[in-house]
Amino acid sequence: MTTTLPARPVIETPRPVPTAPRRRKPRAYKIFRVVALTLTVLLFIAPLVWMFIASLKTNVDIYDASKTVFFTPTLDNYDNVLSRNNYFGFIFNSFWVALLSTLFSLLIGVPAAYAMSRFAMHRSALVVLMARIIPGVSLLVPWYFIFANMRMVGGFGVLILSHMFVALPLIVYIMISYFDSTPLELEEQAQVDGLTHIGAFLRITLPLSVPGLATAGILSFIFSWNNFMFALVLSGANTKTLPVAIFNFVSYASIDWGSLMAAAVVVTVPIMVIALFTQKYIVSGLTAGATKG
Amino acid sequence: MKRHSVVRVAAIVAATFLAAGTLTACSAGASDDGGAKTLRVTLANHVWTDTIKSKLPEFEAATGLTVELSQYGEDQLSDQYNVKLNAGTDEIDVMMYRPLQEGKLFAKNGYLADLSDDVEANADWDWSDFQSGPVESTTYDGNVVGVPIITEQEVLYYRKDLLAKAGLEVPTTMEELEAAAKAIKEQNPGVAGFVARTGKSAAVTQFSSFLYSFGGDFIDEDGNSAIASPEAKEAYAFYGGLIRDYGPENVSTDMSWPEAMAIFTQGQAGLYTEADSLYKNATDPETSKVSDTVGFAPMPAGPGGSVAYNVPSWALGINAESAYSAEAWSFIEWATSAKLTLEVQQDGVPGARQSVWEDPEGTSTYPADLAAAIATSTKNGVGHDRPRVIKVPEAREIVGDPIVIAITGGDSDAAADAASDAFQGILDDE
Repeated sequence: MTTTLPARPVIETPRPVPTAPRRRKPRAYKIFRVVALTLTVLLFIAPLVWMFIASLKTNVDIYDASKTVFFTPTLDNYDNVLSRNNYFGFIFNSFWVALLSTLFSLLIGVPAAYAMSRFAMHRSALVVLMARIIPGVSLLVPWYFIFANMRMVGGFGVLILSHMFVALPLIVYIMISYFDSTPLELEEQAQVDGLTHIGAFLRITLPLSVPGLATAGILSFIFSWNNFMFALVLSGANTKTLPVAIFNFVSYASIDWGSLMAAAVVVTVPIMVIALFTQKYIVSGLTAGATKG
Repeated sequence: MKRHSVVRVAAIVAATFLAAGTLTACSAGASDDGGAKTLRVTLANHVWTDTIKSKLPEFEAATGLTVELSQYGEDQLSDQYNVKLNAGTDEIDVMMYRPLQEGKLFAKNGYLADLSDDVEANADWDWSDFQSGPVESTTYDGNVVGVPIITEQEVLYYRKDLLAKAGLEVPTTMEELEAAAKAIKEQNPGVAGFVARTGKSAAVTQFSSFLYSFGGDFIDEDGNSAIASPEAKEAYAFYGGLIRDYGPENVSTDMSWPEAMAIFTQGQAGLYTEADSLYKNATDPETSKVSDTVGFAPMPAGPGGSVAYNVPSWALGINAESAYSAEAWSFIEWATSAKLTLEVQQDGVPGARQSVWEDPEGTSTYPADLAAAIATSTKNGVGHDRPRVIKVPEAREIVGDPIVIAITGGDSDAAADAASDAFQGILDDE
């Protein structure tokens, strides 16, 4: 902690600093922090900025290195995506599937996680985890076979079920660690005061677990929103989700980069907004139970 | 009190969603019972598809069928087929597929219905009008399994202004091609003399015409690997050398057509060998800066003559498990009729019907030099642009390796020998 940072050329000062040498360290550190933060942010944000800029360019300008920054912006790509290609329909599909699969997963996963946590059902928990260990692609053929025979392929039901398959283990695992960290004494207290086991869960533990629920819900929503593989095979013409629909702009003999980028913005923005407003839950939820011991 | 109501509301909301979810799950499956029959057609994203889509109402009105159209990018389409056909689906009736990439695999697995009787049934539709090269590629074990809809030939794209500046004619031989590439690169700083695909697998198809023009092929008459023959080695070295010596600076060895085409359409290359089906990328001012100076010519002749590929890039087939094969055939017959082929071809998609090519109307929307170049390619073209095997993706990786070695300046002869051994292994397995 107290090691001295080597003097950096960045902190060249034209005249002697009047303050005591003790204050130098924090200042060097401050500059270093700003530089490091700027670099990191730039690194992460550059592809997004590029995507956004490209979505405002014509196809011939996208490839033109001299027009990387200065160009005549056009909204044609967005017009193409939203009005001519009816992306609102795909947005609805994605939203509906993500919402329902998350809700159902929470409905099933949270009580399951509670039971596994309170009754120490480690082996059951391991079985649930298996669903995450098996690569999804190896399930596609059997799933397709089963669902096709049930005449469900192409509907929302099958998409929701398939997304739940991945969301459930995620939710169960986050919630197990969350429940592990909520004090058992509170529930015991509630039971002494006359609540049943289930009553104590519903009225005491569940309301206390809102940050954990939010984390699990948001992560599962994001997963479903971004899922491509399951939707590719199991969706139909009317239930295509956004990640699949994006490929509409890639044709055999032409690629409409501008519209592709505009569609990518349309896919990314909602999830970024959601993540931005809820990130405090995600962070606190992820670390919940981390220091239990 | 407050918590009480929260829990209750949550329970009610959850119950509602459960009910709604079950309903959507049930109703989603309903498909073809009641009223009109539904024909499920799966097509690739393509100009061809756009044109056909706009004409669909005519077909539906004439037949009383309802067409449910699904459209995907080419790789997504492949994934679909591999999963769905493998599971024995009957939810696909008509399928658009790539005869050279997947045709052999699909036919061998019995995914494609035998159309031999259907194609002969209607004399007006005239099966004999289809070019023989493409037809050969949609025939498996003597049975017709597909109808070619889109053909592709390799041509030379060139910049008229740069050639004129160098005082050169359009190259007609490989030596002239090299000389022109050299002159353009020397005279125009920052402009490459020659550009073409460089990616291992992607380059194979556009390299194939060089291979044929040098007198080689991927497989010899006995079914053995021919990529270590002297002709093939010469072709590898020539193609790689052109890009190494006269190509763009710091050329990537991972370029497929979007990257190579971008270099050409941004005005950074003088000569470019590529499939003619992509010509609109170069002639459309919306995507090209050189739209007014681009010219087209047949493949330059090598020691084996000017031999380009002439292949069906896409065909229509019928899923062998389809319950509506008769209706599916009526769709194919309609979509591949001479009338529609002409309309599609005028939209810039080279078709497979000889009569449409002979009809002046058929090439009326093409640049004249492109139409002439295509005519040359179709006359003596080879019916494949990649090894005709079952494991096409693996084979492309193997036979494409010496191309990359040649571009990077390595020993392409040794690479060809090594690739030939590996390729022979694939051939022996099949």
